[in-house]
Amino acid sequence: MKIVYRGGCNPHIDRTAVAAKLPADDPDVGPGATVHLSGCPRACASDHLLVSDDPGTVVVAGELVDGVPTPAPELAPTVTRKLKE
Amino acid sequence: MALKTPEEFRQSIADLHLQIYLFGQKIDDYVDHPMIRPSINCIAMTYELARLPEYEDLMLATSHLTGKKVNRFTHIHQSTGDLSKKVKMQRLLGQKTGSCFQRCVGMDAINALYSVTYETDQARGTQYHERFKRYVQYLQDNDLVADGAMTDPKGDRGLAPHQQPDPDMYLHIVEKRDDGLVVRGAKAHQTGACNSHEIIVMPTVAMREGDEDYAVSFSCPANAEGVYYIYGRQSCDTRRLEGNDLDVGNAQFGGQEALMVFDDVFVPWDRVYLCGEIEFSGALVERFAGFHRQSYGGCKVGVGDVLIGAAATAADMNGVARASHIKDKLIEMTHLNETLFSCGLACSYEGVKMPAGNYQIDMLLANVCKQNVTRFPYEIARLAEDIAGGLMVTMPSAQDLADEKIGPIVEKFLVGQCDAPVIDRMRILRLVENLTLGTAAVSYRTESMHGAGSPQAQRIMIARQSNIDHKKELAKALAGVGKPWDKGRAKVPTAVAGA
Repeated sequence: MKIVYRGGCNPHIDRTAVAAKLPADDPDVGPGATVHLSGCPRACASDHLLVSDDPGTVVVAGELVDGVPTPAPELAPTVTRKLKE
Repeated sequence: MALKTPEEFRQSIADLHLQIYLFGQKIDDYVDHPMIRPSINCIAMTYELARLPEYEDLMLATSHLTGKKVNRFTHIHQSTGDLSKKVKMQRLLGQKTGSCFQRCVGMDAINALYSVTYETDQARGTQYHERFKRYVQYLQDNDLVADGAMTDPKGDRGLAPHQQPDPDMYLHIVEKRDDGLVVRGAKAHQTGACNSHEIIVMPTVAMREGDEDYAVSFSCPANAEGVYYIYGRQSCDTRRLEGNDLDVGNAQFGGQEALMVFDDVFVPWDRVYLCGEIEFSGALVERFAGFHRQSYGGCKVGVGDVLIGAAATAADMNGVARASHIKDKLIEMTHLNETLFSCGLACSYEGVKMPAGNYQIDMLLANVCKQNVTRFPYEIARLAEDIAGGLMVTMPSAQDLADEKIGPIVEKFLVGQCDAPVIDRMRILRLVENLTLGTAAVSYRTESMHGAGSPQAQRIMIARQSNIDHKKELAKALAGVGKPWDKGRAKVPTAVAGA
């Protein structure tokens, strides 16, 4: 799984804490899986896209996952679930 | 249908035979009424500039629905470039009209509804989004003006919509039928309402349980049965009835507001975009307000350009252009104006692509933009009045200037800088008056305060997104908050100890 960071000037969430809770080497997660991990809703890591056109990519932008409001504690579980879908 | 010409626009508005009341009378020939015509000229300018090759880049966009060129006022933003071009287009139109040109609310309404209908469908399994896309295409194909109608009269602000003694204080559903809805209520302060082909209604606040009948969004023709308009007064408005172009300041252009009444209006289902989904009413309000708060970083800047130019010209004509304090005041006005523009552009460049596919402004920066708009135009206006001098409010009338006996006296004593004709000096001072105290002050001052939400509404949004905890952590880390402290290392500096 690839994690893309960009920006980081105004984090509403602890990006590295979210990344640390994502599954590493999980066989249910496809090899091309990518997480764009932005600290705020400006979504710098995904070039300002709240949802990626690539189905293997999940976008986290502050407390949003693929554009859906998600409380900070739920970010990693939500991303994990989406990566396995 | 191709893009409309200004003349086709005027005729299409006349053909609607809208129910408009002004001074207690129904106005049939509203397109040519001297108090209404200037506002129609403003929207006509959005059609005129769209036909000029030098403005095509700003005024036109390529529809993502049809691939055709459409007026940007009917466009769903497809990139951050679209968002910034919107702001630049608004500045351009503010410059050309010196007024509120009224077409922005519809553009902001369609862009807010585009993403909200999509997300409502995703959550509720409704069919609003495809229905709304067809409506947007209808607006684009026919190059129509839509009024974005949000603000309800609201009655007792301390009560929820369903708690109001008079249920009509918030527009609401009174009947659900097999073929559609019947709605009743009103929308206040409706900018450009009497210049629009269509009305897009949205709720005005986030609705709660019990407010389901008030969580309604729909569109209808501006001449739908049961819709009528009570035209709003503006400061100095009856000067337009005096028949001369001097004392009005801006003879060609002006804004327009009306109280729009819905007296049991039928809305077919294919025009309904929200019906009882209370949890999405807040998002709709926030997004419309966000887009409109961005808009003010363009339109008010364009009008500000005109006011700065008028003040500078007045200084020339007063013979004080070289005074250092005048130059400094013009610099300050420009600084404030360009700060507003910076905010409009910043929230555009930091915009994001929504799940629906459209682009939305950065909400925090859009609210900062509008918060500044509640202040800076007032300071720009104050400085313009300072530079113009008291004559702008004490000057004799056009009738006095035209009078055979009094006219030469007026002309003698109103001379300023020797090369400036008195009539031109009077014209420019009347323009400053128009923008700061007259009909245009409605949009340049009070609309800057309350339009797109009063200042406190932006402060609530700013507070919600201010990320204070992060700022606290930054400060604590640098200050060393929480670190153990060794008081034994608190020694008097050597140089001081040896003194």
